[in-house]
Amino acid sequence: MNPHVLEVARALDGFVAAIFVLAGLGIIMARQMRGTLYLFILHSLMLTASAVVLGVTLDSIHLGLVAVITFFTKVLAVPLVLVWTTGSSAYQRREVEQVLSIPFSILIAAGLALVAWVVTNPLINAIPDHPFAAINLTTGMMAVFFGAFTVAVRREGVAQLMGLFVMESGAFFASISIVNDLTIIAEIAAAVDVPIAALVIGLLIRNVHKLTGGTRVGSMAELRERH
Amino acid sequence: MLLALILIIPCAVALGAVISRRVAPWLTLVGALVVLGLAIVSALEVLRTGVLRAALGFFTLDSLGALYLLLVAFVGMTAALYSISYLTARHREAGEIPPRYRQYYPLFNLFMASMLAVPLVSNLAVMWIAIELTTIFSAFLVAYEDRAETLEAAWKYVALTSMGAMIALLGILILYYGVHRAGEAVSWFGLVRASSTMAPAVLLIGFVLALVGFGAKAGLVPMHTWLPDAHSQAPASICAILSGVETSAALYMILRLYPALARNPGIAHPNIWYLVPGLITVGTAAFLVLQVTDFKRLFAYSTIEHMGIILTASGLATAAAHLGMIDQLFAHAFTKSFCFYAAGLATLALGSQRIQGNRGLLKRSPVVGWALLLGALAIAGAPPFALFISEFQILRAGFSAGEYVATGLLTVFIVLAFIAILYQIGGIVFGEPDPDLEAVEAAPVQRLPVTGVLALGIAFLPLLVFGFYLPPPLSQLIHQAAALLGGGA
Amino acid sequence: MSPLVQHLIANLVQVAFLVVFAPLVSGVLARIEEMIQGKHGPSILQPYRDIAKFFAKDEVVSEEASWVFRFAPFIAFVMPVFVVLLIPALTAYPLFFAFMGDMVAAGFFLALGGFFVALAAMDTGNAYGPIGASRTRMVGFLSEPVFIMVFFSVSYVANSTIPYAVNAAWAQSWATMLEPAHLLVLVAFLMLVIAENDRIPVDSPSGKVEIAMIGHSKNLEYSGRGAALMKWAGTMKLMVLIIIFVNVLVTPWGLAATTHWGDIFLSLPKVLGKILLFLLGLAVIEASLAKLRLFRISEFLASAFVICLFAMSVRLVNLA
Repeated sequence: MNPHVLEVARALDGFVAAIFVLAGLGIIMARQMRGTLYLFILHSLMLTASAVVLGVTLDSIHLGLVAVITFFTKVLAVPLVLVWTTGSSAYQRREVEQVLSIPFSILIAAGLALVAWVVTNPLINAIPDHPFAAINLTTGMMAVFFGAFTVAVRREGVAQLMGLFVMESGAFFASISIVNDLTIIAEIAAAVDVPIAALVIGLLIRNVHKLTGGTRVGSMAELRERH
Repeated sequence: MLLALILIIPCAVALGAVISRRVAPWLTLVGALVVLGLAIVSALEVLRTGVLRAALGFFTLDSLGALYLLLVAFVGMTAALYSISYLTARHREAGEIPPRYRQYYPLFNLFMASMLAVPLVSNLAVMWIAIELTTIFSAFLVAYEDRAETLEAAWKYVALTSMGAMIALLGILILYYGVHRAGEAVSWFGLVRASSTMAPAVLLIGFVLALVGFGAKAGLVPMHTWLPDAHSQAPASICAILSGVETSAALYMILRLYPALARNPGIAHPNIWYLVPGLITVGTAAFLVLQVTDFKRLFAYSTIEHMGIILTASGLATAAAHLGMIDQLFAHAFTKSFCFYAAGLATLALGSQRIQGNRGLLKRSPVVGWALLLGALAIAGAPPFALFISEFQILRAGFSAGEYVATGLLTVFIVLAFIAILYQIGGIVFGEPDPDLEAVEAAPVQRLPVTGVLALGIAFLPLLVFGFYLPPPLSQLIHQAAALLGGGA
Repeated sequence: MSPLVQHLIANLVQVAFLVVFAPLVSGVLARIEEMIQGKHGPSILQPYRDIAKFFAKDEVVSEEASWVFRFAPFIAFVMPVFVVLLIPALTAYPLFFAFMGDMVAAGFFLALGGFFVALAAMDTGNAYGPIGASRTRMVGFLSEPVFIMVFFSVSYVANSTIPYAVNAAWAQSWATMLEPAHLLVLVAFLMLVIAENDRIPVDSPSGKVEIAMIGHSKNLEYSGRGAALMKWAGTMKLMVLIIIFVNVLVTPWGLAATTHWGDIFLSLPKVLGKILLFLLGLAVIEASLAKLRLFRISEFLASAFVICLFAMSVRLVNLA
């Protein structure tokens, strides 16, 4: 491989990764539902971009396929499905409550980023032969943590769903750097899985909305040990 | 073809159930019966040939897979039978047919198909997708009755287990890299073969992510909070599947990682990763059982407890403990589905799921009372039921392996849970029915659903019989499966 | 002409560049924003007219005011001029004063100006002045750590906090430009530019309600020459920060590479063009966001801080 091409590709990938992290942070912080959705689209676009960069550099048709699938499922299908299922409630320009204050939650996010680095570091040392592993594994792990954190601190159904997909994107962001030949079956199945999940969870949100008049799933606390 | 059929039938039945709502229940039952028959045939085939492969290696079935397949098919069959009249009885009680009734049978079959796929497919990534689909398809089964509580339970269920699934996905993909790098096919066999040469960091991080991720779905503490909610709000037929086999599906994934972990020379104490979470889970669940106020939640916590026992048994890391573990996995599925069937009927008979205030079930409805009592005895691990044998096996194996602290703790927790379960259920079953209540509910207890009782009876058979006698082919299958999970070989 | 003298003259040209074009930058920004909102907007030369008009008017000073009030406009006016001596406004090579101070010094100069303006606002008896001053201080306290973090992150890249050295380090190749740390610093610094210049979403520059003002209420008491200087100083501060952002961080190209006069004057339109592009971006950001509530400003700046922290960690662990 041409070392110069590799250097440029690594730089590009790093750039994409930075936007990926920023979009993930934004999803934790964004105050309005619509903003969250736009950031999610940006986030998915960056996953696509990283797959394209890696695919072109490593000459892998599989990664190209991952890029195409990601684009069609996450960038196009998921927002459409969400519009269809949750309708206006997902896209209102309305402030969303959080369990924690925003500075505190981004501080935690910074801590999570460090943890992600600490966790992936031994892994990166064990994977010497993949040029993008250092960037993508850490970034992907960060996104997994950010997504989990979003689910934990966001009270809104749609935002929690975004958190889940951020986690999924993170897992793929990490893995495209080390697994560049997932079987076709797995790729197609993953492509089917994401919109179905969006559909079912979206319908669930719609039902919650219908029944409780809001989508604040975080404030549902009927079930606990009562005495 | 045999293996492919097992997946095709439920999908076809799902389609049929969409087309005709009238025949859907019976179609589902017939489909489930056929699947059970096919599962038995393929299990016998596995016993004869070792490993079954089909569809260009897309499907693989070994002895542990076959065992799990049998469990799913059996519980699925009884659940299909149970659903038929149980749902009608529920509708009669509620006075209306919930809007989601038309989705019940299609989703039920898709849910079954995704669960049957877990032991069948050989590719790890596809297997992950199957696990994720079990959550997705069962979300609306949990939220079958359209109430705020069921939706809350379904939401917690989907959010937490999907969260776990995403973490597990990263773990699976990291393992995928390791296996692929070693030049093996990415299946359980390939993983075990590749594990000895894999970099310890890759294997361990992949494993820990999978443990956390699948652990959330298996209800391991502290990711268990969704489980009692979902398992108490879903209809009893779904609870039986969720508790009996779905949580085991995630646990199955974790258990299958053990041989890979044990074979890697760079990982010092692989069994600690099983022992510690297992014990924490058993301990927490045993205390939680003491303070529940809802008998379906009681059985849900007992599921958490049993998942912990199975995990701990795996961590005891001797051949005898592994044998006990497989026995436990096997017996728990039958017993727990029986318990939920009984609990479902008890809900119908009592009109609520509360433990306080409900007394004298034996007097009000002897059949249900006895069923609930036997179920509680069986799940708590009283002799002569199958779970007693397996728990005894595990404890004996643990003590003879010299793991005194872990096994001692496990014994204490099991005894604690035993007392707690019997104390709680005993309160419902025995005593005199509240006279005020009797006066208010002047109407006699409604007639018990016929197929529900039938399913209860069928589910009771293995529970009792396997305590005394295991048919030789089954016992052989269990031995093979236990050997498969052993790390030493 | 000896190189020393030439450098000195080039420095003066930079100062002149700032002083002359600063009102234009503000005028253009205001015009673009009005156009985005579908209005015609004032002429881009309006700030010049305002300043000229203020100079022609009498100055009225409150009886309560002390020397600080009279003195503050001059300090506010001079500080951006000092800063522009330190930064690569037109030339890519360091000029005479370049090594007098680094980016921390630039921040110090701007902060000094802000300090005096805040003092002056409290100096009069007007009630709105102290409110604005205290709010500005709040924003200032919160943005200070971000400033420091940006400098640290930048100095990691360039091994220096001298703006010229940073410019040179980033101008080397495309690859360094694309570094994640760089992008993160950019975003944080952009947020800082917005906060420091009282732009949306931190403060509304075109707001007319005194009680909601943050930065602008500090100038309410000024009239005549003082008002002119304050306005001019405000435009210069904006332009200086934009120059740092554009020339040092985002696009370190288009500066004069040689001491040739033609080269230096050719860089003028280039730099102005870059500033125009930045203004377009800023206008879009301002047009698409709503002003934050006062309590949310801490969140805004805390995000900038954490982004810097990310940039630092990325550099520290040497990811890319």
